[in-house]
Amino acid sequence: MKKSWLRDYTIKRLLYAVIIAWGILTITFILVRVGPSSPADKYLANIAASGQDVSQITAAIEARYGVDKPIFEQYSDYMVNLFQGDWGWSFSTSMPVIDLIKTHWIYSFQLILLSSLFAAFLGILVGIYSAVKQYTKADYIATFFSFIGISIPNFWLGVMLILVFSVKLGLFKTYYDTSLPLFSIDNLAALVLPVITLGTGMLAGYVRYTRSAMLDNLRKEFVTTARAKGLRERTVIGKHVFRNAMLPLVTIIMFDLGSIVFGGAYLTEIVFGIPGLGQISFNAIFADDYPVVVAVTLIGTLLVLLVNLVTDITYTYLDPRIRYD
Amino acid sequence: MTRILSKIAKKVGGPLYSNRRLIKYYLERALRNKLAVIGLAFILFLSLLAIIGPFLTHDPTLADFKVNNLPPVGFTTQTSIYDIETNEFTTIENTGTWKHPLGTDSKGRDMLAMLISGARVSLQVGLIATGIAIILGTIIGVLSAYLGGWVDNVLMRFTDVMMTFPFFLLLVLIVFIFGPSLVFIVLVIGLTGWTGTARLVRSEALSLRTREFVTAAKALGASDNWIIFRHLIPNVTSLIIVIATLSIPGVILAEAALSFIGLGDPTVASWGIILEAGQHSLDTAWWVAVEPGIMLFLTVLAFNFFGDGLRDAFDPKSNI
Repeated sequence: MKKSWLRDYTIKRLLYAVIIAWGILTITFILVRVGPSSPADKYLANIAASGQDVSQITAAIEARYGVDKPIFEQYSDYMVNLFQGDWGWSFSTSMPVIDLIKTHWIYSFQLILLSSLFAAFLGILVGIYSAVKQYTKADYIATFFSFIGISIPNFWLGVMLILVFSVKLGLFKTYYDTSLPLFSIDNLAALVLPVITLGTGMLAGYVRYTRSAMLDNLRKEFVTTARAKGLRERTVIGKHVFRNAMLPLVTIIMFDLGSIVFGGAYLTEIVFGIPGLGQISFNAIFADDYPVVVAVTLIGTLLVLLVNLVTDITYTYLDPRIRYD
Repeated sequence: MTRILSKIAKKVGGPLYSNRRLIKYYLERALRNKLAVIGLAFILFLSLLAIIGPFLTHDPTLADFKVNNLPPVGFTTQTSIYDIETNEFTTIENTGTWKHPLGTDSKGRDMLAMLISGARVSLQVGLIATGIAIILGTIIGVLSAYLGGWVDNVLMRFTDVMMTFPFFLLLVLIVFIFGPSLVFIVLVIGLTGWTGTARLVRSEALSLRTREFVTAAKALGASDNWIIFRHLIPNVTSLIIVIATLSIPGVILAEAALSFIGLGDPTVASWGIILEAGQHSLDTAWWVAVEPGIMLFLTVLAFNFFGDGLRDAFDPKSNI
């Protein structure tokens, strides 16, 4: 009985993800096509300078990029190309967009991974402590600082950290050193300020979510039962309350990925000059290199979709109480 | 204009607009929270500054290279200047003066005046974009909940698609494609930021739809229009007010972040644009990056404090 609805749910959820992915790709396609710029724009100045016929060359460039075809054909070409891994050509770096992404994703990944670990670990600990000691001085201090953490603009925090620790105190370099090997202590040291920059907002959020999720469960009857059974307080909090608080917490942490983490990582990379996906998108903006900007947005969006899908499906297998039918 | 506005306020604000006693009650509840009082006081102070400030200060666009990179009052900076003729370094000492209490930037523009005009931009962006997002979200949420069926399905699937887009990345893409102008940025933030509101309003309206007073209204022959505008929307007002207050800071930050990465409207001195310029002169004029950031931080903090207080005040379960 249980097995069959789980399988049905998984299939339904997968189909649903495919539909959303199609929606995302379509909206992006419409945005790019409705946009006022043509791929030929980049060459107009050169064409004019060399005294050639502008309209002829524009037509040739548009044919090269397939912009002269009927809109439906362009749409199907776009979809087919995406699935075949042809994400377009980056004008400014003269390489396929997919190769550009392959060389740079690791920098974004290490930043996001380290920041998430830092924020989740510390945030959950402080959140639990704050909930258990509700209305004490420690709780008020934690709550106050979490307000500050969620309100501080992370790109400004990055600039301030550079100002204090790099410019005034000289403890760190003002720019991320790309020559360092990825798995080295020096690289880890270079990531300290970026991780604090990206992690602070997340950390503050996790403290708040953990605290309220813990408080919701602390008042439940099974907690009283557990205490009445004579279990140690540690076991009650760790095994009974925290386990039940985990579920909403994980949902929120996953949801943050799209809304806070990706945007934050984008800005953090720019502030510190980390050559991740945010940085290449930022450079592409100035070079008017739209395939790169589109690709970075698409990757971020599809990742959020994938993570949500995996979270939802794992839940239904892990928590016997969840039923979506 | 005012009459139309007050009509809309009466419709949407419903019980809150027409019932002064209720406003007083909720406000008193919210203001029992000290942080909410501080937040509201700061918001009012900032609004006042944004409205009358520009008449009191220098022209924020006035560049004066004789007084460039002047530190704020109470600070002194030393700059070494290389003199080609004597082949020597001379040290110039700059001390902040009361003429420019918060210092000047690299072009000699008064920081105080720029920050005040920036406050105007940020508050306008925050209020207008949030207004658009809230109205759209409420309409979509209520329609979805009330009509149900395929309308609900289509609207909610579309909401899912929009929610999957990382907000900031989508914003960057759209502003990059269509070009940065402040009006456009506000519109885009408003037109993409409604998803959370739609979800929350929908779930609230779903539970309202099955209540007795709605059934009673239906039995008495009320039209869909009447039920939506008379019964559903007025009852989600408190939810909407809380969402609005808590989403303003996100909008202000989004505009600042866009300006920071060079996608801001270059013709408007918003806090993000000042910060972006200051970032490159950290070693000569740190205050240019520090001051707009502090303003942004305090504004966002104030809205968060006040919004949190409002949420507790409207929550019948909280005992304050």
